[in-house]
Amino acid sequence: MNTGSNLRIGPFEIFYPVEEAAERVRANGGSSFPGKLFVVEGIDGSGKSTQLSLLHKWIESKGYGVVFSTWNSSSLVKDTTKLGKKKKMLTAATFSLIHATDFADRIERSILPLLKAGAVVLCDRYIYTAFARDVARGMSSKWVRELYGFAVKPTVAFYFRVPLETAIGRLVAARDGFKFYEAGLDLGLSDDPTESFRLFQGRILQEYERMIPEFGLTVIDATLPVEVQQAQVRQIAKTHLDRAKELRVRP
Amino acid sequence: MRQTYGKTLPGMKLTDLSGKLIVVEGTDGAGRTTQINLLKAWLEERGHAVLDTGMTRSPLAGEGIRRAKEGNNLGRVTQSLFYATDFVDRLENEIVPALRAGFVVLTDRYIYSLMARAIVRGMDPAWIRSIYSMALVPDAVIYLRIGVDQLIPRVIFSRGFDYWESGMDVFPGQDMYENFRSYQTALLAEFERLSVEFRFETVDGSADVKTVFAELQKKILRIVESDSRQQYVFGRSEETATLQRKTQETWAAQLRELRSNDLRILPRTTPVSSGGNGHGMEEADRSA
Repeated sequence: MNTGSNLRIGPFEIFYPVEEAAERVRANGGSSFPGKLFVVEGIDGSGKSTQLSLLHKWIESKGYGVVFSTWNSSSLVKDTTKLGKKKKMLTAATFSLIHATDFADRIERSILPLLKAGAVVLCDRYIYTAFARDVARGMSSKWVRELYGFAVKPTVAFYFRVPLETAIGRLVAARDGFKFYEAGLDLGLSDDPTESFRLFQGRILQEYERMIPEFGLTVIDATLPVEVQQAQVRQIAKTHLDRAKELRVRP
Repeated sequence: MRQTYGKTLPGMKLTDLSGKLIVVEGTDGAGRTTQINLLKAWLEERGHAVLDTGMTRSPLAGEGIRRAKEGNNLGRVTQSLFYATDFVDRLENEIVPALRAGFVVLTDRYIYSLMARAIVRGMDPAWIRSIYSMALVPDAVIYLRIGVDQLIPRVIFSRGFDYWESGMDVFPGQDMYENFRSYQTALLAEFERLSVEFRFETVDGSADVKTVFAELQKKILRIVESDSRQQYVFGRSEETATLQRKTQETWAAQLRELRSNDLRILPRTTPVSSGGNGHGMEEADRSA
C-alpha cells in the first residue's frame, strides 16, 4: 500500500504466498530502510524485556539514535483497548483487531518514519505476539497474517525460548495473580486463573514454535544466564549495526 | 444457513440467523440516515422488530474513533483497522444476536463504505477484502446513488464541509471544496466497482425523500416477505394474499364451529409453517 511517500509497503514474502506482494517487498522491503528494527518475542516470563532493555543501553552507549516501542502503547488506541479489557468486552476478533489498530498507529506515526530517518527501533513484542495470541484464541492463522500485511519486516526478530514451567515459576514469584485476558480466561479453558494461564501460554508456545521456521525467528535459549543471552543478542545486533555505520549519531 | 464472505469468526454460529440483514449504502449526504429512520418506523408499524446500527456506534470503539478523528492525526491504516474493530464489535454483539432473534437489521453503511474509504486512501484492495471476509452476506444491499453535483447543495444546507468527508487526509492542499469534490468522486467510482462485485440494488438517491422511500419500501417488502412466517402475517403478493385469505377462511370456519360447540377458545394467532429460513441449507463447512 502507499504510505504517503513514494515508498510502498505491503505483505511480505514470509507472510503468505501472494506473488505481487512478495515482489513489492524485494523492491521496497525492510532492508531498503536506512534504520534497523530489532524485535523481541517470547511468552510472558521469558525475560525478553530485560534483554531488550540491556540491548537498548548498549546501542545507546554506542552512539546510535535508538527508540523504544512497546506493544499496546499507541496514544490514539490504548484507551479503547483498556476499556475493552476492563469491561471484558473483547472477543477473539475484536481483541485481534484493536491490537492491530494500535500496532498500525505505531507503524504509521512512529516506527516507519524512524526507520526512514535511520534510527534503530527496538520493539518489545511485534506481530508474532499477535499471531501467537490470536491463533491461540481461535482466529484463523491466515486471516491474522493478512491483517498484519502492512508490517515492516524486522531486521532481526529474537525469540526467547523458555519451557512453560520455567516462565510460570518466574511469574508466580514476581506477581500476584494474572489478569483476565493475560490468563486467557476469555477462552473458558479453566476457571482457575493460574491453570488457565498455563493452558493458554502452552498454546501460545506451540504457535511460537511453529513460527520459528515460518518467519526465520532468531532463537535465544532463555534458560541461560542473563549475561550469556545478552552477549549473544549483542553479537547478532552488532553484525547489522556494523553494516550501517552511517546511522550513528555524532555528538 | 447464512454465509460470510469467506471466514467465520470463532464462536459465531451461522445457523438460525432467521432475521433479515438489510444494508443501506451510499456516500456522505446520500440520504441514508433519513431513509433508515423512515424505514424503521414503517417496519415497526408493520410489526417487525427492527435494529438499526451504523458506523462508530459500537460501545467498544465508537468513542475511541471519535476522539482519534478530532485530532486529525489518525493514519490511514490505523483508521481502516479502527473502523474494522468497530464493525466487528457491532457484528458480534448487535447484528448477529438481533438476526438470531428474528429482527430486521437495518444498517447504515456496511463493509462496502469501509472498503471504499480504505481503497481510496491507498490500501491494498486485497488486504481490506481479506479483513472483511468474516462479514455476513446481507439479504440486500441498497445503494443510494447520487452524483457529486447533487451532493454539494445538501452538504451546504446541512452541516458544511467536514475534514474527513472532504478527504483532507487524502488530498494535498487546504481547499476543502476542491478536496471534497475529488474525494467524493473517487469514492463514487469505487462504489460503482463494488456495486457490480457485491450486487448492489441501486436507487437514485437524488430523487426526493418520498420517492426514494417508496422505492426502498418496495425492495424491502420483497425481502421480509421471502420468509414464510412473515409472508403469512404481512403477505402482499397475489399468492400470499390468496393463501392468507384461505387460511383466514379456515380459521373463521373453525371459530364458528368452536363457538357453535359453545367452546370459547380462540385460535392461536399464527399457525406458522416451519421451514427455518427457507434456504434449505444445514450447517456444513465452518472452516475458520
